[in-house]
Amino acid sequence: MPTFKLDGKEIPFEPGDSIIRAAARQGIEIPHYCYHPGLSVPANCRMCLVEVKPAANQRAMMLDIVEWDAALGDYRPVQKPKLQPSCQLPAVEGQEVLSDTSKHVLEARADVQEFLLLNHPVDCPICDQAGECKLQDYWLDHQKTQKRMRDEPVHKPKAVVFGPTIVYDAERCVMCTRCIRFMDEVAKDPVLDMRERGNLNEVFVAPGRQLEGHYTFMTEHVCPVGALTTKDFRFKARVWFLRSAKSVCQGCATGCNAHLDYDPRYNKAYRYRPRDNEAVNKYWMCDGGMLSYRAAHVGRVTAAKVKNKKVANDAAVAEITKRLSDAPSDGIAFVLSAQHSLEDNWALRELARLAQGGKKDLRVYVTGAGPGYKDDILIDEDKNPNTAGVVELFPTLRPFPQLIDEIRAGKVSHVVALGGVTPRNDPEDATALAMVSTLIVVAAHEGALTEAAHVVLPATSWAEHSGTYVNRQSLRQRSDKALEPQGASRPAWEQLRAIAVALGLEPTWTKLKDIRAQLAPTSAEPQAAPVGVPQGKPSVAPPTAP
Amino acid sequence: MLKQTNYLTKVYGLPEGWTLATYEREARGYQAARKVLTTMSPADVVNEAKKANIRGRGGAGFPMGVKWSFMRPHPTKPAYLVINADEGEPGTHKDRTLMELNPHACVEGCIIGCYAIGAHAAYIYVRDELHLSKARLWGAIKEAKAKGYLGKNPFGKDYPVEVYVHTGAGAYICGEETSLLNSLEGKRGEPRLKPPFPAQAGAFGCPTTVNNLETIAAVPTAFNLGCEEFSKLSSIHHLNDGGVRLFGVNGHVKKPGVYECCVGLTLRELIYDLGGGLLDDKALHSVIPGGSSTPVLRAEDVVHAPDEKSPLHAWHGKSVLDVPLGVDTFRNMGTMLGTCCATVMAEGTDPVACFHNLMQFYRHESCGQCTPCREGSGWLLRIAEKLMDGTCSMDELNTLHDVANGIMGNTICAFGEGTAMPALGYLKKFRKEFEAYVKGERKGKDARLAVGAWGQS
Repeated sequence: MPTFKLDGKEIPFEPGDSIIRAAARQGIEIPHYCYHPGLSVPANCRMCLVEVKPAANQRAMMLDIVEWDAALGDYRPVQKPKLQPSCQLPAVEGQEVLSDTSKHVLEARADVQEFLLLNHPVDCPICDQAGECKLQDYWLDHQKTQKRMRDEPVHKPKAVVFGPTIVYDAERCVMCTRCIRFMDEVAKDPVLDMRERGNLNEVFVAPGRQLEGHYTFMTEHVCPVGALTTKDFRFKARVWFLRSAKSVCQGCATGCNAHLDYDPRYNKAYRYRPRDNEAVNKYWMCDGGMLSYRAAHVGRVTAAKVKNKKVANDAAVAEITKRLSDAPSDGIAFVLSAQHSLEDNWALRELARLAQGGKKDLRVYVTGAGPGYKDDILIDEDKNPNTAGVVELFPTLRPFPQLIDEIRAGKVSHVVALGGVTPRNDPEDATALAMVSTLIVVAAHEGALTEAAHVVLPATSWAEHSGTYVNRQSLRQRSDKALEPQGASRPAWEQLRAIAVALGLEPTWTKLKDIRAQLAPTSAEPQAAPVGVPQGKPSVAPPTAP
Repeated sequence: MLKQTNYLTKVYGLPEGWTLATYEREARGYQAARKVLTTMSPADVVNEAKKANIRGRGGAGFPMGVKWSFMRPHPTKPAYLVINADEGEPGTHKDRTLMELNPHACVEGCIIGCYAIGAHAAYIYVRDELHLSKARLWGAIKEAKAKGYLGKNPFGKDYPVEVYVHTGAGAYICGEETSLLNSLEGKRGEPRLKPPFPAQAGAFGCPTTVNNLETIAAVPTAFNLGCEEFSKLSSIHHLNDGGVRLFGVNGHVKKPGVYECCVGLTLRELIYDLGGGLLDDKALHSVIPGGSSTPVLRAEDVVHAPDEKSPLHAWHGKSVLDVPLGVDTFRNMGTMLGTCCATVMAEGTDPVACFHNLMQFYRHESCGQCTPCREGSGWLLRIAEKLMDGTCSMDELNTLHDVANGIMGNTICAFGEGTAMPALGYLKKFRKEFEAYVKGERKGKDARLAVGAWGQS
């Protein structure tokens, strides 16, 4: 691999790399605002300027500036080299680039930083970006001087509502145009642009339009400062109290990698942010996905129920034992859920195998959410995070409508199901479900199944346990635990084990790691995982966005 | 060396001087284009053009022939010639006279330029407010088309050439070539990143040459005279700065205007011989040599070039007013030739007021795309305003050069330097006057930008 020198250190690069990208791959950050690895390069913030040593046969381009010489009482002419934006500058074999070791670069960074804060309101206490703001970080890293301009700053529009989700503060804006470029290049809806000139510049929404669609939250996420805020997160939390868990979005089969930000003091999730993964979602997430953190608290099953009355988990398990003891051994239908993790589904499949004594012809069905909106960017039609996972576990799955048909035909009397939701919201389904003599549901979220269930056991949601999900590319992705289990909920595989034990069976798992050890790696895996992208982990993606 | 010529300006002032008939009768109109298209290959034209040593007349002074030679035929894309007639530099008023009084020279230049670089279309980008210029250019295009000099077969040659006039909204930044291209494409007038340079990806992503209007208008003359002969008209031909050009002089002179001379004219000749000396015969205070972006020269400045290798060495110890107006000579003096339209200020002009005036312009015209220029130009103006108001502290005055240093070279386009250079120029040369404002010895309300009869108002 060819290399260039950055501050004396050899940096390998791939053809086409810019200096900033190649450096980021080595974990070296060159400060920047406007550059984003997933967007085009405008080189307008001028924060990433570096000094390039001229080749042996070339002369550096020098610029005439002055210094104040107090002793002389006059200006002294000095020169400085012309600096280059490292986001735009292609890496060249053998090139010598100075970043942190160049006096001129350090000066330019301090100058740019000072310019950016010149007319900034410095309203950090009431700014949602505080704590994760590049202006704050870089002031400390690259400026550290007091404000020299003591006059009233330029005032611009504040709290401008861009649309149903986003609010804009032009005074905090650094005009990096990331939001404009995102809407243009990724969302393919060029609804944002810049207007006015000079230091009156502001971002605005095309007349007659508002900032709407499926990717508006990303404009806030790519904003390096507090100019864009989401109505959802505005004034809700201080980011420094939040912790992040590496999560996988549950909104559809794409399985976008995400950070689930939560406050451990209140056991509460506050937002979803994209986690960079070149192989899956790159740097992006859709609005629906970013709002899906709410499912950690909304519509949750947090207590065991017998015939819709809250009971203790033990009492519910006892009721299950009673109800299943008289079940015909071939009359129990097991329903996996594409909404639950691979581990949860594996546990239910094992329970089915144990309960039916090694019979080959198991009646296993699948449930999950029905299809919905899709696009060519990220959003998949399949609204379940683990469809590929359940198919992998049980390739001969029967679809949910078949279960309904077979209940109607009287072939199924007992059902053990995972997950609350069903693919369609059909009153006929509810009538059919009411016909079974026993419906046992282990679920994290409420739905048609929990509604009709005779016994419900509360399962933890994806946010409360570590789980594996297989996305549409057949990538196994791990989603980490963020919150503590809510109410009486326990991981579904644990609840299923309790049922197995109560039924006098001998489950082969007591801990999560037991399940993971028994989860066979699939043949699909090695091919499906792109090179350099370990399963379930974020790829070694180039520079993390903001 | 004062040598007035009338190659470009012969038809100026003639009745119907802007018509094809006059142009052909008086100024060997379209003979050069005919000769080039019917007898020369494009490569020959470029090689010949290089000998003319026409330095770009827009301000940067890049050799025109060399710029043409950067054009390479693209396998699929057409090439374009774009003429920058967005003359917006304060104190500059030369291109306008050409468009209004000799539009056929511009059109003929476009035909030769298109042929040389392999383009079939030329766009002349004109500021909106120059209504007469646009009308005269369109008129010239129409006449040339009717005669068969433009269109499908100019001069019978199977080489289609079309010339269009494009109206810009009149933003200074659109005179920056890549910004002009964005504006031409209907986009916001913001400079583009370079590379790619216009010769690789210019207008509509196609190979493009951007020439200043005066540059292209000088081409027919060069080819009529023979390019080498044309170059030798200049007294600094040896510095690869050839031919004749338009010299403008404005400000506190008796006869402000545009004069055509051989390159090599000095400021003294421009001000006193052509400009008729200063108003009320006052003493000269300072000169901005070529548009507001070029650092100011004081009347008493002398050339310091003890190094024998310096192109300025011949004038070492002499007054800056006696140095020939050339691209390289003026660059080595710490200023620039720019557009070669000098703004003259007589004794009594307040340099701080000049500084304030310039900073108002740059603050207003910054496109705001990149940080140092967007914020720095505003900060410079703030301090300038405080100086004029008498509220500027010594600390703030001492911040001024820091701000300008921070803009210098750190921006996407040359507007940053265009702002910082005149600011630093005024600071370096007039620090005492700036201090007088801080100390309250001078006041903004007494400051004069105009002298003589104008100064009374």
